[in-house]
Amino acid sequence: MLDGPRTLLTQWLLQAAARLLERHEREAVLGDLTETGASAWRGMSEVLGLVVRREIALWYDWRPWIAAFGVALPGSLLLMGVSLSVSCTFQRLTGQAVFGVCAPTGHQGVLLLTCQAFLLLIWAWTAGFFVGSVSRRTLWMSVALCLSPCLRCLSRFHDPSMSGLCLLLFLPPAILGVRYALRTMRMRSGTALALAMSATVLMIYTWGNSASWILNWALILPAWYIAIRARSAVCDAGA
Amino acid sequence: MLGEFEYLLITAAAGLGANAYGVSIREEIESTTGRQCSLGALYTTIDRLEKKGLLETWMGEGTRERGGRSKRMVRVTPKGVRAAKTFYEAVTRISRGAAWAGS
Repeated sequence: MLDGPRTLLTQWLLQAAARLLERHEREAVLGDLTETGASAWRGMSEVLGLVVRREIALWYDWRPWIAAFGVALPGSLLLMGVSLSVSCTFQRLTGQAVFGVCAPTGHQGVLLLTCQAFLLLIWAWTAGFFVGSVSRRTLWMSVALCLSPCLRCLSRFHDPSMSGLCLLLFLPPAILGVRYALRTMRMRSGTALALAMSATVLMIYTWGNSASWILNWALILPAWYIAIRARSAVCDAGA
Repeated sequence: MLGEFEYLLITAAAGLGANAYGVSIREEIESTTGRQCSLGALYTTIDRLEKKGLLETWMGEGTRERGGRSKRMVRVTPKGVRAAKTFYEAVTRISRGAAWAGS
């Protein structure tokens, strides 16, 4: 009596596991399993074994490591700080009281707030683009490493004057950056250079006005990597 | 220099000729060596060898016994033949005089 539903369930699990493979490979592997008459459980263990091997093979490269542990994780921590800093500056400029939050807000002028906001946009977008373009197939790990400190900080953030969502201002531009990278992979050389230059100039300005942490300098690295990569792609195409 | 499993795979594919694909290569390796060969090991090795230019693969036509699904066909390239030959010669040379080598 249980055989029918059990077989259906294992078949469904097998199909679900096979979805983790690329289309051509899924076709070949499921065909092989059908031809050899493998049971659904055996098939599922074979497919999962292949998926695990594929995933491990991706991590032999340096790029997923840099994307996940070099950009996504530290980037989310730094960008949460910048998001908070921008929110604090905005609240102080609009005359709202800020309790308990300690973030560098510089001299709190509108110009500085604008610079900070633009910097936040550029940093977050370029970090997202970097992660999306260099580690497309290991994106899940980068996303998990980016979100875990966010969730932890959100759960511990208790400030009556400010919503916890102020910490996550960087997420929308970062998501847009990832989406753009997944669609196009490369940026135009001029645009990439303009972004990197803008980030550097804005950083110098905000740094000079005590509105940035020293570690924020690291956030311009993805922008320069993208600019150099776009430039070298142009040179390769011309050669 | 090839690895042991890479050599087995190339040799099996070369022996099977136009009928070299996942299932047939796997059966050949299992029947010859008496060892289990997982699909994971098979396909990741095929990919690696293809990246090195030692194999070529393409999607063949589906058959009824496969539920209409395509086969991933495999062909050994001339570079693959040379690599297998080099491996075979090295193993033959180093095995000369070994107690288990045939006279």
